[in-house]
Amino acid sequence: MVRIKYRYLLCEVCVSERSGLQMLAERPIYDALRAALGKAHGAHGAALLSVGSSVTYVNAYTGVVLLRFRKAHYRLLWSALPFVTSIWSRGQKVPCFFNCVHIGGTIRTCQKFLVRYSRQQLCRMLPHCKTEAEKQEVRRAVLSCSLNKFREEEEDNDFGEDGEETEA
Amino acid sequence: MDEEPSSYERVAYKNDSVYHYMKICLIFGNERKPLSAEQFKQLIISGLKELYGEVGAAFPFDVLTFDQFVLSAILRVYNNGLVKLWSALTLIGSCENESCAFRVTQVSSSVSKLILVLKSTGTSCRSL
Repeated sequence: MVRIKYRYLLCEVCVSERSGLQMLAERPIYDALRAALGKAHGAHGAALLSVGSSVTYVNAYTGVVLLRFRKAHYRLLWSALPFVTSIWSRGQKVPCFFNCVHIGGTIRTCQKFLVRYSRQQLCRMLPHCKTEAEKQEVRRAVLSCSLNKFREEEEDNDFGEDGEETEA
Repeated sequence: MDEEPSSYERVAYKNDSVYHYMKICLIFGNERKPLSAEQFKQLIISGLKELYGEVGAAFPFDVLTFDQFVLSAILRVYNNGLVKLWSALTLIGSCENESCAFRVTQVSSSVSKLILVLKSTGTSCRSL
């Protein structure tokens, strides 16, 4: 079967104030991306973005964004990501930057990576906890994603993977 | 009877030059504007910037010669930038609100070929 191949960029949106995350939406992110591309790569870059690119997933609570680009020219579009410094949303300017954590060939591989990545983040959060209650909360979260989930994932891995690429 | 060795010789020319040379000239629609070499290069860079952005406008190319009277120039550009430069030149449509166009007369990988053609067509190449 022949299909058009895509690359999915799993990015974290880093903001100075957490309230800024609530303003995230697909359209403002796409517009910010197009403005950055227009500046860095001109009309040519903006034209490449308009072909087959989209913002596939936005999580306004964790700031996780999934961008979809054509495989043929995702490197050029990727190179413009650091130039996104703010997003205009509902008439407000949210200063932020994109941190690309993973590049995958399918949404599925990105999702798997995100689960693994979030689990690692939990372990990293533990030493930074100040109060006992916070510690308990993080420990509970770590335990809640333990053995059973691991087994499920190993079973999942038996299926054929499609074009995974880890460059984070 | 021994055969005479053939009189011709096969010469294989391998292009290992890293540059390409373009001979271009600028044509104005109505009124001709006086341009200096700096303004001429700035015009090309602005065209590159519009099409390929700040990254595209940063790649190196040189204006080797520039004739103010006929507005023709010879550009030197790295092989990997040739297509970008050429496409940007094509899309330049105006200079200081005056419609204009670039005509690419000749493209070559060595400057000697360029000069040969220039001489044969009688174009001035004083500055070379």
